[in-house]
Amino acid sequence: MYFPMKKKLTKYLFVLPGFCFFAFAMLIPFVMGINIAFTDWDGVAASYQYVGLKNFMDIFRDARIRTPFFNTLEFALIGTVVGNVVSLYLAMLINSKFEKLNHISRTVFFIPVCFSSVLTAFLWKFLYREFISDLFGTKNLLGNPFWVIPAIVVIGVWNGAGINMLIYLSGLKNIPLELYEASKVDGANAFQQFTRVTLPLLMPAFSVCVTLTLTSWLKEFATTLSATGGGPGGASRTVSIYVYENLYKYYKAGYGQAVSFLFSLCLIVIGLCVSSFFRKREVEL
Amino acid sequence: MKHKKNMPGDVILLLLMLATIVIFVIPLYLAVLTAFKSKPELSRSVLALPEGLYLENFREGMRRSDFFHSLRNSVLVTFPSVILIVLCASMSGYSVARHAQKTAALQLLDKVYLASLMIPFQILMIPVYRIYKALNLLNSLPGMVLMLTGTSIAYASFLYVGFVKSIPREIEESAYMDGCSEMKTFWIITFPLLKPVSATVAALHVMWLWNDFNISIILLQKEMVRTITVKQFYFFGQYTAEYGLAFAAAIVSMIPVIVCFAFMQKYIVNGIAAGAVKS
Repeated sequence: MYFPMKKKLTKYLFVLPGFCFFAFAMLIPFVMGINIAFTDWDGVAASYQYVGLKNFMDIFRDARIRTPFFNTLEFALIGTVVGNVVSLYLAMLINSKFEKLNHISRTVFFIPVCFSSVLTAFLWKFLYREFISDLFGTKNLLGNPFWVIPAIVVIGVWNGAGINMLIYLSGLKNIPLELYEASKVDGANAFQQFTRVTLPLLMPAFSVCVTLTLTSWLKEFATTLSATGGGPGGASRTVSIYVYENLYKYYKAGYGQAVSFLFSLCLIVIGLCVSSFFRKREVEL
Repeated sequence: MKHKKNMPGDVILLLLMLATIVIFVIPLYLAVLTAFKSKPELSRSVLALPEGLYLENFREGMRRSDFFHSLRNSVLVTFPSVILIVLCASMSGYSVARHAQKTAALQLLDKVYLASLMIPFQILMIPVYRIYKALNLLNSLPGMVLMLTGTSIAYASFLYVGFVKSIPREIEESAYMDGCSEMKTFWIITFPLLKPVSATVAALHVMWLWNDFNISIILLQKEMVRTITVKQFYFFGQYTAEYGLAFAAAIVSMIPVIVCFAFMQKYIVNGIAAGAVKS
């Protein structure tokens, strides 16, 4: 406006330092990885050969990839729904009227976020084995092919709900109280206030939280690997774990890289769709 | 907040709150309990209170996990990265929020950052390993900082973009009128207004980078440079039967992060309470 030329350059200067880090750590390795996906590299040897699209064709013939594929969808579905409902529930609890309890409970709900997934998985393995099974008179849920995925989702939600809770909480706090008062004057009950005022104004928080939980569950790796290693009998093996196993266990780095490439493509498309779905529904104050 | 008295509703809410707190605390409570129990005590009962403060677990756990050395490594890796992330991502998020609508390149950058959030790290593992080996950056703490910062920029920018959009432009525009350059305006006017989100970004990344596993496990292999999390991974692998010992080591390792959070929490709350987000 006032310095047209200078301003034009400045806006690029602003993103430059961040972009350099990003390019070094993600963009360049990503492009190098694509190259590997077209080879028969085993991950160790110095030499490899280009095999064209063979790796990609193999994906569709690979029977072993089906279970991980459906497991990943199950993780994503259960994890996203449970994760967001729990986080929003926690945020609303904290945003309620018990001033003193709110401070304590926010800290309590957030503390698990301080724990690494390795540590959390270790803690819950202990709980499932020694405590929860005694409490409900069941066998270890992590050893049950049907319950293992919900059981891992519980671990992940306990571990991560605090983050989305904070995002929802700041969204809730940004809703002007006048809107609630105005809607009350108009005769809205608590439920109507929730659906007509709270939810629409929380859309920015939803677009962040849903996108992030969905994609993080789709690439679920560390918690599951530490908790069950993909077991029992592959019942909790995710696509990410399958990729990892191709690289480090089956010595098929080229094929693994092809799977993870196709998989990343799907993730990106899903993520962009979900994010734009919510962004379109954001309302400006 | 003004609320009408609503007794039954209040009681239900209070009960829900307490029940939720209990559910969240139980796992931690049992971990702490276990850390204070000797092995025979633990095998008798998981729930019983420890007979005395059995501190041997802590002493042994800290010694065997070489606690202070890995603590130093974790600090040297985490804090420089967090500072870099806050500085770079705030600038980047600001520019995208203010100019992306009219600048195709920035719009593309926003999309690329968003897309990169969805990439699973396994796709980068092998290429990163190869690059680091070629550049002789394996087992180097500065190399680790580079990687942690690079992989965190996208998410941090994402958080800043949303926040900057809610800050009215008028404040910045009045600064331009007074002849301030955009860069100067950003650091003097906008960056302080971003304090709430900066605190959030910093607090979150302290946790995440402190707990990073995926990157550390491939870049930091030598004993000398292992961070607490990597150390723990091997440590838990070795002591699966000795819960007391493992939990004692784990609890000690979490103290720095919890202390840091207790300190940062104030800033997050103040930032939100100050209403910097409202226009």
